[in-house]
Amino acid sequence: MKHRPPALLGALLLSTGLVACSSSGDGSNAGGPTVLDVWLMRDSVSEAFQREFEAGFEKAHPEIDVRIQIQEWEGIGEKVTAALAGNDAPDVIEVGNTQVAQYARSGGLTDFTDKVDDLGGQFWLDGLAEPGAWEGRQYGIPYYAANRVVIYRTDLFREAGIDAAAIKTRDQWLAATEKLDKDGVQGIYLPGQNWFALAGFVWDEGGDLAVHEDGRWKGGLDSPEAVRAMEFYQRLQALGKGPKDSDESRPLQADVVAQGRIAQVIATPGGANVIAQKNPDLKGKLGFFPIPGKTADRPGAVFTGGSDLVVPAVARHQEEAYTFIEELTGDAWQTKLALAMSYVPNKTTLANAVASDPGAAAMAVGAAHGRATPHTPQWAAVEAKNPIKDYMTAVLTGRDPKAEAAKASRSLTTTLNSGS
Amino acid sequence: MTSPVLRRAGRTRRPLAPGPYLLIAPAVLGMLYLLLYPFGRALLISFQDFGLRELIRGDAEFVGLRNYRTLLSDPVFWDVVRRTFLFMAVNVAAIMVLSTLVALMTERLGRIGRAVVLSSLVLVWAVPVVAATTVFQWLFHSEFGIVNETLTDLGLRSFEGYAWFADGRAAFTILVVLVVWQSVPFAALTLYSALTTVPGELYESARLDGAGGLRIFRSVTFPLVRPIFMLVLSLEVIWTFKAFVQIWVMTRGGPGDATTILPVYAVQTALAHQRYDLGSAASMITLLLMSGVLALSFRRLFRQEGEHP
Amino acid sequence: MTTTRRAAPGRALRRTPLYAAAVLTVTLCLFPVYWMVATAFKPSRDIQSYEPGLIPAEWTLDHFRTAVQADGFALFWRNSVLVTLGAVLLALVVALGAAYAVARLRWRGRRPFVLAVFIAQMAPWESLVIPVYIISRDTNMLDRLPTLTLVYFMITLPFTVVVLRGFIAGIPPELEEAAQVDGCTRVGAFRRIAFPLLAPGLMATSLFGFITAWNEFTYANFLIIKQQDSRTLPVWLSSFQTTFGTDWGATMAASTLFALPALIVFLALQRHVTSGLTAGGVKG
Repeated sequence: MKHRPPALLGALLLSTGLVACSSSGDGSNAGGPTVLDVWLMRDSVSEAFQREFEAGFEKAHPEIDVRIQIQEWEGIGEKVTAALAGNDAPDVIEVGNTQVAQYARSGGLTDFTDKVDDLGGQFWLDGLAEPGAWEGRQYGIPYYAANRVVIYRTDLFREAGIDAAAIKTRDQWLAATEKLDKDGVQGIYLPGQNWFALAGFVWDEGGDLAVHEDGRWKGGLDSPEAVRAMEFYQRLQALGKGPKDSDESRPLQADVVAQGRIAQVIATPGGANVIAQKNPDLKGKLGFFPIPGKTADRPGAVFTGGSDLVVPAVARHQEEAYTFIEELTGDAWQTKLALAMSYVPNKTTLANAVASDPGAAAMAVGAAHGRATPHTPQWAAVEAKNPIKDYMTAVLTGRDPKAEAAKASRSLTTTLNSGS
Repeated sequence: MTSPVLRRAGRTRRPLAPGPYLLIAPAVLGMLYLLLYPFGRALLISFQDFGLRELIRGDAEFVGLRNYRTLLSDPVFWDVVRRTFLFMAVNVAAIMVLSTLVALMTERLGRIGRAVVLSSLVLVWAVPVVAATTVFQWLFHSEFGIVNETLTDLGLRSFEGYAWFADGRAAFTILVVLVVWQSVPFAALTLYSALTTVPGELYESARLDGAGGLRIFRSVTFPLVRPIFMLVLSLEVIWTFKAFVQIWVMTRGGPGDATTILPVYAVQTALAHQRYDLGSAASMITLLLMSGVLALSFRRLFRQEGEHP
Repeated sequence: MTTTRRAAPGRALRRTPLYAAAVLTVTLCLFPVYWMVATAFKPSRDIQSYEPGLIPAEWTLDHFRTAVQADGFALFWRNSVLVTLGAVLLALVVALGAAYAVARLRWRGRRPFVLAVFIAQMAPWESLVIPVYIISRDTNMLDRLPTLTLVYFMITLPFTVVVLRGFIAGIPPELEEAAQVDGCTRVGAFRRIAFPLLAPGLMATSLFGFITAWNEFTYANFLIIKQQDSRTLPVWLSSFQTTFGTDWGATMAASTLFALPALIVFLALQRHVTSGLTAGGVKG
C-alpha cells in the first residue's frame, strides 16, 4: 500500500475512462465460459482461417471462449519477456522457432514433456521440436513450418524459353537466371541480406553457420565451404537489382516483385499470394520450384522457419491452454492450416495433405532437407543484431570475403558463447 | 539579468516557512518514487547476476563488481565509449555552429523571411523521431532512394546502388546528419530568441567604433547570449549522449559496431541479449561519463544558484 | 532589430548571400518532411521505383485509407491523447509549484534541489525499463495506462521545472507585490498577475512534453502487455511491419497523421514557444 500515493495522484488527473478501460478486459467471469487469451503473430493465420478455427473450436469446447490477439513482430521479444515475467500472462503464445530456446531455458514456460506422446511428438518436424526443448524437457509445441522456395514468373520464363522444371542444379539455375536477366527484366530479385538463403547454400556445401565443439560454439562462416556458398550468393545476387544493404522486408519484397519485371524471387510460397494480391495481373503467372542443390540428385538444403506454441508458467488457464494446443496442433486443423496458408504441417506424417498445392509441393521437396539454426538460446541474440547480414553486405559491396568472413565468425563466436 | 531584482525580492521572504516545501513536495515525491527508486533498482541489478530467468523467478544473486569487471575488461566496450564521445562531440559541434549561424541569419532577415524560416524549423521539430528516421532511411536507400538517384543523375555513376548503410563511416555520417537535422531547430529557435533580446544600440556603437562582423559577434553578441548558449550546449550534450531511438531504428548499431554508442550498447545487452545486469552496469558507466563531461556545467549552475535567493 | 538597415545602392546585392542561406536552410529543413508527405500520397509502385520522382506522378489516398482502417486506429489515438495529456498536465501542475518555490522563495535545500532537477534530465530511461517493469508488476500496475502516464510525467518533469523556473524568474515580483498590497493573497496575486504572463512558458514546456510522450515506444511496448486495447500510437505504427516487410506508404501516411497534431499545435503557437524557451534559458 505504501506505493499508492503517486499512483493515486496520477489517477486523480486522468479521466475515469482510462481506469475503466484498463480493467475491462479481465477474463475470468464467473459462470460463463473461461476466456482463453492467445497470442498469434501477424500474418501467421489469415483472418478467414482464424474465424473458422475459433468457431470450430468453441463449438467443440463450449466451456472455452478463445480470444486471439494478433501481435506485431516489432518489439515482440521484449513483449514475450514481459508477459512471461508478469503476473497475468496470456495463456498461449506463438514464438518463432529460432527464438523459443531462450524462453525454454528461462524457467518461465509450462513443461509439456509428459504430453509429447499424446500430441504425436514422434512425428514432429525436428526443426520445430528441437528448439522447443531444453535439457530433455519439451516446452515448445511445434505449430507450423515454412521454408523458402523459388517463386518465378511463368510468362517471363516462357519468353526466355526456359523450362523451370529442368532446373535441378545450382549451375543450371545460374545459367537460366543469366539468360533471364536482360531487356529490362531482372533475373532474380535477391536482397543482399537474405541470410536464410545463404544458410541453405552453406549447408549444401557442407558447412554450418556455427559448430559446437568441446562445449564451445565457434562461428563457421570462414570455413572454405561457407566462403564458397557466399561466392555463389554473390554471383546470383548480381543477376538482378536487389539492394545490397537490405533484407527482404526493406522494402517489401512482394511489392517490388509485384511491380517490376522480376523473373524470380526467393520466398515462402505464401509470398505468391501477397504478390498476386498487390498486382492481380500476375495471378496465375506465378510458379514454384525448390531451391536447387549442388547436384541434381539432391535439392538445396533450406532453413526451416516456423513457430512453436508455448504456455507461460504463470498463465491462469493451464488446462484450457493445453486443450487449445491439442486442437490447433492436431491433424485436422494442421491440414486445414497448411492448405489455407501454404505451410508445412508440424508432422512429417501430414506431408501428403498438401501435395495438391503447387507451392506447398515445391516446399515439401526442400522441407525434406530442412535445417535449423544452431540450437542454443543465444541464437536469438545473434539475430537481434545479425552479423551475418553485415557480412553479406560487406562482401557484396566489394570487401575482402576472407577477412569479412573471419570477422563475422569471430562475432558469432563471441555472441554464442556469451550466455551464462 | 534579473538577479538584482530577485535578490531584493528574496529579502522580503521568510527563510523557513513550510510553503516552499509543500510546493516542491509533489516534485520531490515524484522524483523519489518514479526516478530514484527505479534507479536504485537498476543500480542493484548492476551488482547482480540478472538475466531472463532471474527476471521471471526474482531470485537474483549478488555478484559484486563482476559485471563492471566484465565490461571494463572488454575492448569492444572501450571502442563503444570512444565512439560515444566522438558521436557526441561531432554532433554537438555541428549543432551549435549551425544553429548559431541559423539564428544570426534569421535575425537579419525581413519579416516574411523570418516567419518562413522559423516555421520550417518548428515543422522539423514536430516530426516524430521515428517518422523522421524512417524517412532518412528511405532517402538513403541504395536502390530506391532519392539521394543515390540524384547523385547518379549529377554524373556520379559510382553512387548507382551505393549501399550507404554497408559502410560504417557512411552510416555514422548519416546518423550525425539526422541527429543534427532534428536538433538544430530547438537550438536555433532558442538562440534566435536570445539574440532578439540584445539591444540594437550596442551593435550601432560597436559599428561606429569600426568593429567588423566577427568582432561584433565576439565582443558584443556572444557575451550577452552566453548563458543561453551554455544551457543549450549542456542540453545538447545530454541529448546526444543519450541518442538512441534514431540509431536503434536506423542501424541497430550496425554495420558491425560502427554506430553502436553507449545507450545502444546498453539496450542491446539488456533487451536483446537479456543480460539486464550488464546493461544496467553499462548505463551506470554512461551516467558517470556524462556527469564528468557536465561537471563544469554543474559547478557553474551551483555557483549561479548561490548568487540569488 | 539592427538599426543599420538603410536603403543603400547595392543593398539587394549584398543581401543575396543571406537570402541564399535562408533558402538553403528552409530547403534542408523541409525536404525530408516533404518527402514523408509526398511518399504518403504516392501509389506503392512509385515508392518502390528505381527512378524515384521528386513530385508524385499520381496521387492516391490509399495509404491513408490503409492507415485509418487498420485495427484500433481510433482507440489507440484516444489512448495516446489521454496518456499524453495526462502526463503533460500533471507535469505542468507539479512543475509550476516547484518552479515557483525555486524562483521566488528562499529556503534551505534549494540549491541541491535545483541540481537534482538538472541531474534528473540525464536519467538513463532506456535502462530503467526493467526496474520500472518490476515495480509496476509488484504493485499491480502493469497493463494500465496510468502507469505510462506516470512514466511520461517523470520523463518530462525535469525539463518542465527548469524552463518554468526561468520563466517565473523573468516576471518582476513587484507586480505581485503590488497586487498583494491591494489586498490579494500571495496565491491570488500569483494567479492573477503572474499566471497570465506565464502562458508562453507553459505552452513551450507542454509542447516539449507532448512530443516526448507522444513518441515513446519502449515503455508503451513493455508495460502494456495483455490489454491490446490499451496500446498507444507508436506501438500501432509498428503494425505496418508485416512478416513480408514494411508497408512504406502506409507507414508514411500513418507518420503524417501521427505528426499532424504536433505540427498544428506548434505552428499555431510558435511565437509563444520561442519566447517561452528564451525566458527559460535566461536563468539556466
